[in-house]
Amino acid sequence: MAVESVVIINNYGKARLATFYRPISTARQQLLIRTIYHLVSNRPDEGLCNFLDAPQLKALLQPPASSSKASSTTPGIDNDYRVIYRHYATLCFIFVVDSAESDLAILDLIQVFVESLDRFFPNVCELDLIFHYDEVQSILSQLIQGGLVLETNINEIVKQAQAASKARKASASSTQLPQGAASVVSGNGFQVGINAATTAAGWARDWMSTRR
Amino acid sequence: MASFATMASGSGSSNSTNMKGLVSYIAALRQARHREAEEKVVRQEMAHIRQQFRQQLNGYQKKKYLSKVCFTYILGYEVDVGHMEAVNLIASSKYSEKQIGYLALTLLMHENSDLIRLVVNSIRKDLDDLNEVHNCLALHAIANIGGSEMAETLAPDVHRLLISPTSRSFVKKKAALTLLRLYRKSPEALSDVPDWAARIVAIMDDDDLGVATAVASLVMTMAQDHPDAFANAYPKAVDRLAKIIVEEDYSEDYLYYKVPAPWLQVKLLRLLQYWPASDDETIKATIHNVLDHIVQNSQNTPKNVQRNNAQNAILFEAINLAIHLDTESAVVAKASVLLGKFILSRETNVRYLGLDTMAHLAACVESLEPIKMHQKTIMHSLRDRDISVRRRGLDLLYSMCDVDNARSIVGEMLRYLQVADYALREELVLKIAILTEKFATEYAWYVDTILQLISSAGDHVGEEVWFRVVQIVTNNEDVQEYAATKAYEHLQSSSCHENLIKVGGYVLGEYGHLIANNPGASPIEQFHALHSRSHLCSQPTRALLLSTYVKWLNLFPEIREQLLYVLKRYTHVLDSELQQRACEYVALAERPDGSDELLQAVCDEMPPFPEKSSLLLGRLQKKHGDTNDKRTWIIGGKEVNRNRDEARLESLRRGPANGGAMPTTKAAGAAAPPSVIPAGGQQSNGAGIDDIMAGLEGLDMSVQPGGVGVTNGMGENGGEAGESSYTARAPLIDHGGDGEESADRTASSIKPTTTGVGVAAPSSSSAAPPLVFPPSITKSYLKTAFSNEGVLYEDGSLQIGLKTEFHGSRGRLALYLGNKISVGFTSLSLRVRPHPEEPDVANPAIKASMSKLPPSSLGAMTQIQQVVDVSCRGVATYPPLLHVEYLAGSLQSLVLPLPVPMSKFISPVPPGSLGGPAQFFERWKALEGEGRQAQRVFGGFKLSRETKSGVDEGRMRRVVEKGLRLGLLEGIDPKSENVVAAGLWYCDEATTEVGGGTTTSTASKVGILLRLEPNAAARQCRCTVRSTRGDVSAEVARLVVCALGGDAGLLLDLKGARAGVEGAQPAA
Repeated sequence: MAVESVVIINNYGKARLATFYRPISTARQQLLIRTIYHLVSNRPDEGLCNFLDAPQLKALLQPPASSSKASSTTPGIDNDYRVIYRHYATLCFIFVVDSAESDLAILDLIQVFVESLDRFFPNVCELDLIFHYDEVQSILSQLIQGGLVLETNINEIVKQAQAASKARKASASSTQLPQGAASVVSGNGFQVGINAATTAAGWARDWMSTRR
Repeated sequence: MASFATMASGSGSSNSTNMKGLVSYIAALRQARHREAEEKVVRQEMAHIRQQFRQQLNGYQKKKYLSKVCFTYILGYEVDVGHMEAVNLIASSKYSEKQIGYLALTLLMHENSDLIRLVVNSIRKDLDDLNEVHNCLALHAIANIGGSEMAETLAPDVHRLLISPTSRSFVKKKAALTLLRLYRKSPEALSDVPDWAARIVAIMDDDDLGVATAVASLVMTMAQDHPDAFANAYPKAVDRLAKIIVEEDYSEDYLYYKVPAPWLQVKLLRLLQYWPASDDETIKATIHNVLDHIVQNSQNTPKNVQRNNAQNAILFEAINLAIHLDTESAVVAKASVLLGKFILSRETNVRYLGLDTMAHLAACVESLEPIKMHQKTIMHSLRDRDISVRRRGLDLLYSMCDVDNARSIVGEMLRYLQVADYALREELVLKIAILTEKFATEYAWYVDTILQLISSAGDHVGEEVWFRVVQIVTNNEDVQEYAATKAYEHLQSSSCHENLIKVGGYVLGEYGHLIANNPGASPIEQFHALHSRSHLCSQPTRALLLSTYVKWLNLFPEIREQLLYVLKRYTHVLDSELQQRACEYVALAERPDGSDELLQAVCDEMPPFPEKSSLLLGRLQKKHGDTNDKRTWIIGGKEVNRNRDEARLESLRRGPANGGAMPTTKAAGAAAPPSVIPAGGQQSNGAGIDDIMAGLEGLDMSVQPGGVGVTNGMGENGGEAGESSYTARAPLIDHGGDGEESADRTASSIKPTTTGVGVAAPSSSSAAPPLVFPPSITKSYLKTAFSNEGVLYEDGSLQIGLKTEFHGSRGRLALYLGNKISVGFTSLSLRVRPHPEEPDVANPAIKASMSKLPPSSLGAMTQIQQVVDVSCRGVATYPPLLHVEYLAGSLQSLVLPLPVPMSKFISPVPPGSLGGPAQFFERWKALEGEGRQAQRVFGGFKLSRETKSGVDEGRMRRVVEKGLRLGLLEGIDPKSENVVAAGLWYCDEATTEVGGGTTTSTASKVGILLRLEPNAAARQCRCTVRSTRGDVSAEVARLVVCALGGDAGLLLDLKGARAGVEGAQPAA
């Protein structure tokens, strides 16, 4: 049971997010995105279901035979892939999953993803996905980890993502000034490191106490 | 709701990490009007970064440049810088830098990257870090790029994070899924899994539904390989479902559009499909209740799309589970009505899933009638606007096909073939071919349909389809003439596909003589019909036609001239294969000695093909191979699924010794249902082979048509044809090496399944470690075994008390579990199991079950009662076992023997009912002898307290009366200190009918007579038990020794006890 890939494509076929949960070369990723876009864009929005068998993705997603030593334990030889997608205004959210996932549950998961994005970036728009690509990745990583569904509770996802974002900002800003010195004087850098760690831990603690 | 419509209003003013360089880089890329300009910007920036990375940089700078590299990568550019910097940043102590380092790691590297080795240590440090945020980063990285190397080195750390009581929920969730990733990558590196099972399963009870969901995923995967070790997950999943659905006990956080934790529900419902249906009545009833609730909830369709989706996701999974458990149940009947509604729904998603689930139903049910009601609707779905719906419709039609509706379904499929999507055609052709073969009742229909299929589907007909036709025609004499006529007819039509020419060429070459007397089908006409098309054919087809001609040389001497003319012309063609064939055939026809004996021998009619399963099924099922998680069903009729299950179970039973060995063809043939074609006894049906078999056999088949047919063979390696054609049955083409190689390939492709099974078998033995009872148990067991109440077990935190009540062959044990500490126990699990030494574990002598599902927690300083029902089915030497597991900081696990010796099922004979001494001794004597009497001499019993020398008669009598439940008979024995007692032992003898497998129980009673003769001087006592059954006598005697001798070790150490019984016998 696994999600193979999460892709967000806009109406012009430009990918705004493309995450693949198995090693795939950049060139093949681009080919995959094009194939997926082609699959989905050819379907009118009205009256069709959100699920699509995609046998043509098999050849692209399967790792090449030479490098499959490690993956020989995962019987991925004959996976049937399914594309589950949903349109939101100018963007299309697409999950490529194997046949062991519940279709409707994945459809719900897309909704959860979008609502989480919307809550994290108030009134989310396509530009948010471009300029805050790291935040989007971070939100997605709260939702899906290594191709497996991690969390489905929107509150929890947003809370975690915000905490990570805060921790990042805090550790970045608190150490911005002495950083130049840090790289020169290694002893000092160690000191700074301690500070940063404690700050991050502090954030984590603060937010944990608000959790309960 | 998100509004992506407002995309014009730019918001990319400040990046969260305040990296100006990154923002301006992104802006510059956005300003690039076309791809070339963008590429230029990227090239410049990458060149700049490469230069920067050569210098001494501080953390912030590294982070900034690495962010740019990541962004560039995400845009779809190949990047070759930044790997080392990522490795450095991961080791940084600043969260923001660490985070970018990890991001780059997951984006730029994969499990086989060389640099992975460099980060393993940093990752381990972060796993051990006290800061949970760092734990999460590390876990996330492992989950994305972890391979077998990480599995070996880091799995124990990940496992520790998962089970540590101090881990917070968000760490546990991540750890669970990370462990799952590592397990999938390298199951052999995680050899501890069976030992971890109990602890992992316990987390399914976690308060946090998110943790429960993640752990359910983990359990689902691991349980497929270790069904026994994870067996406890079954009741846990049922309990959790019942809590959420029936008791509505869940945290508000996990309401998704008013539906509680739909993902968890779906996952648990699916998890339950990986075990066979439970035979525990309580669990069955609970599942039934849960499913009923779900079906009931779906009666009203909510307006909200999201809510409706979530509700349906649960409903469809519930239906799948119901089908898995029992296709005849009321829930399934209700569900099939619902499905009938769904496939008419206006909502496409619902139609789609309705058809999908109905295909599952059709694949498993006994009777297809309820589905056939909807046949029209389903056929109509082939005309749906949506290809996804059409696909599911096709699958369903395939699954629901049987002898009755085969004609209409195949007819509809053939019609649909003309307009079907190209992507669907190949599979459609295979399905039609299989259904036609499987459900044909007349040869004429079979031949007509297949020939029509080949002619209309053209290029979409795979080789194996026409191989199969040839095979069937060759093996069935009755159909040969008809096939030849029809093939000839098709050859005469204006357009004729090459595949049809192949079939025609083969069939006419073999059986053309059968129709040679028909008007319009004389040899010369047959020859023209074929030869006029040969110039358009590909080389293999022409080669096949040459073989046809040489066969005709033998059959039709009247057209020898024409045939030889053509063959001779082919001796000059450029293609070496054709030329060689032609030369050899000509040489064969024009032997210098003028004899055509050799020609006759070589061109003799083909012998029937050896029985093999259908290649077609193998091909189709290869298309739906294993996924990471095994499918719980496959498309097709119920035999396919049943045999698949059987094969899976079979390979489970076979164990590791020959786990890898394939079942023999014979066994597979036996598993196949009888062929439906009446006269087609020879024809293998092949439906009953599981997919592994089909894959392998299909492979054999692909060698057959080319290999066995000597003169008709159409290989590319005809060079050896000349020499080998002297022995008519020698393979023309040496496919040996090739075939083996591909056999290996098939074997390796199915390997995961077999190894999975292979791993499972030893796990079942390792899952049952040697029984270790707590040391205090011997004493308390002895006490409780011979009294109606007592304390069975007690330690610092838990006390288990017991009250019992027995009537005849049945009894109830009320267990009182008391939590003695001020911390609640969570994930409590109580199970009663037969003793593993029990000869027939499925049918134990003492049947014990819980009347209701035990609660999953036990609050601080509280007590709960749990009733265990027991019934006696035979002479029990082994006590049933009670497994207790709970979480109080760490996982506590206990195994206790339940004190139900067979004496509990004895009722005393009322005093006086056996008459006086004379009558008693008459009975006593009647029961004398081998096989009825058991005698033991034992010491160690207590002497009377008052006299210190005499026997404590009072105690002896009390033990016999209260402990062993025998009725004391006074005044029978002349010696007053001797004790005489009698009782009736009740038992519901279970008898299993041979073959039928049904178990019926018949109540039986056995009378027991006991005589105790203590000898105070020798401090020994002789105990004699007589009854009509020797095994009953022996067991009662053993119990007497235990009870009076106070030897609890003897009571539990069963092997020693047995030896004691045997040793005591000669003393009599």
